[in-house]
Amino acid sequence: MQNTVAIMRRELLSLFCSPIGYIVIAGFLLLTGVIVLVTGSFGPGQPATLRNVFDFTPYVLTIIIPAITMRMLADEYRNGTFESLMTAPVSDGQLVIGKFLAAIVFYVLMLAGTLIYLGVMKLYGEPDLGASLASYIGLLLVGVAFASFGVFTSSVTNNQIVAWMLGMVPLMLFVWFGGFIVRVATGTTRDVIQSINIVRHLDQFNRGLVTTENVVFFLTMTALFLFLTVKVVESRRWR
Amino acid sequence: MIEVQNLSKYYGSFCAVKGISFRVDEGEIVGFLGPNGAGKTTTIRILTCFQPATSGSAKVAGFDVFKDSMQVRRSVGYLPESVPLYPEMRVREYLAFRGRLRGLDRAQRESAIARVAERCWIRDVIHRPIAHLSKGYRQRVGLADALLHNPKVLILDEPTVGLDPSQIRETRTLIRELAQEHTVILSSHILPEVEATCQRLVIINKGTIVASGTTRELRERVTGESKLITEIRAGEAEVSAGLKTLPGVTSVHAAASDGWTRATVSTARDLREDIYKLSTQKGWTIRELRRDIASLEDFFVKIVAGTRDAEN
Repeated sequence: MQNTVAIMRRELLSLFCSPIGYIVIAGFLLLTGVIVLVTGSFGPGQPATLRNVFDFTPYVLTIIIPAITMRMLADEYRNGTFESLMTAPVSDGQLVIGKFLAAIVFYVLMLAGTLIYLGVMKLYGEPDLGASLASYIGLLLVGVAFASFGVFTSSVTNNQIVAWMLGMVPLMLFVWFGGFIVRVATGTTRDVIQSINIVRHLDQFNRGLVTTENVVFFLTMTALFLFLTVKVVESRRWR
Repeated sequence: MIEVQNLSKYYGSFCAVKGISFRVDEGEIVGFLGPNGAGKTTTIRILTCFQPATSGSAKVAGFDVFKDSMQVRRSVGYLPESVPLYPEMRVREYLAFRGRLRGLDRAQRESAIARVAERCWIRDVIHRPIAHLSKGYRQRVGLADALLHNPKVLILDEPTVGLDPSQIRETRTLIRELAQEHTVILSSHILPEVEATCQRLVIINKGTIVASGTTRELRERVTGESKLITEIRAGEAEVSAGLKTLPGVTSVHAAASDGWTRATVSTARDLREDIYKLSTQKGWTIRELRRDIASLEDFFVKIVAGTRDAEN
């Protein structure tokens, strides 16, 4: 446990010591700010809801979260610090979980930035806080799942840019074009794609529904990729 | 303290280490010597639990590197060859992080950092970012990290590579001091390095141990054949023929320049007196006559060259 926390703390320190952390947060807030502006969420006569921000955020996250996680393991391989970590009394699992938790903490801090919009909205109207809470839970879960996938892609290469691409492209494919694929696909393919359609699962949260099925979906995805990451890290040493 | 038995490591079909065995007793300081690519780093990585061996076994501080990996890691301080550090961190932050991984609580960390900072002369850079440090300081930070938990065994992979001569001397002194409290293995491809710091040498080449023993033992083994070097004022052919008549001479290399002939005589015996007598008898003038005892360096170079010849 102490090791996991130590790894997490060091990772966060690195994120905030290098420009990447600030660039990612600024980029995220800029993009969500633009969404607020473009969709006219604060326009007169509009319902007091951040629904538009919540709907668009997952699309932004497909780019942002792999950017947070891209260096996590890839850089350890490249710097050779993987060797000093793996010769200290640290298990593969502790390393992976520590990295993953750092990504989550960072993501939560970043997401907390959007509370400003909600605060401003509260000043001028009556946003539904319960529904917003459901949306935040949805965003948290989707972020957790994406982060596990990002840590996984970072574990398979020692190049950050490769890790970023490997993380971003499949996520974009699923989130940006998931709906389209579902429309054109037929039969079993369609059912399979639909069952792993991230946007569909997330949509329920944005309607204010927190269902077991959706929570389990994201947590399963997280567990799967964390498990795979541990396996990849283990296999690195057998080469 | 360290026991290696029949250890082998294959990378695919490439054999990096071929069934080596050796042991290191408590308090010893052993040099692991070999040319680049001999299998030193591979062996060290197996001992530090970074890579598993293909076959064979290794025990460090009484624990098997494969079965009790965590116990081994707790008892070993390791300085990898590339001295990996996080450039964005400050020295103190880095050591604190490593201390946490080593399971030291806050008070223990404080005193451990103070101790190693003193020991490795990094007190004046403790608050500097690692990215700003010179190679010499980084090496010391790496060493400080290896010493943080006061390990029983210290494993140093090429600890002086890339340092300037005065830093090399400082590091050697430090390693010798450390050997009083720790069992030390260090690897190097430079012989004087190991000769200066280690009690015992293990020479490894192409994944096998070619020789091992104390420096004195090894020197005795290689002095068997020595060389006599002489410079005589006479013709090349004449000198060569004359020297070959002496008993026990295996070969003579002669080369003339400026009317002097420089001859190198390979022999198992000390023939200096015989050469003198021969030259007075023939009326030659001698301006140099000395015995060149084969050094460990020659021995080591021979091994390395031997492998190269075999490859070509």
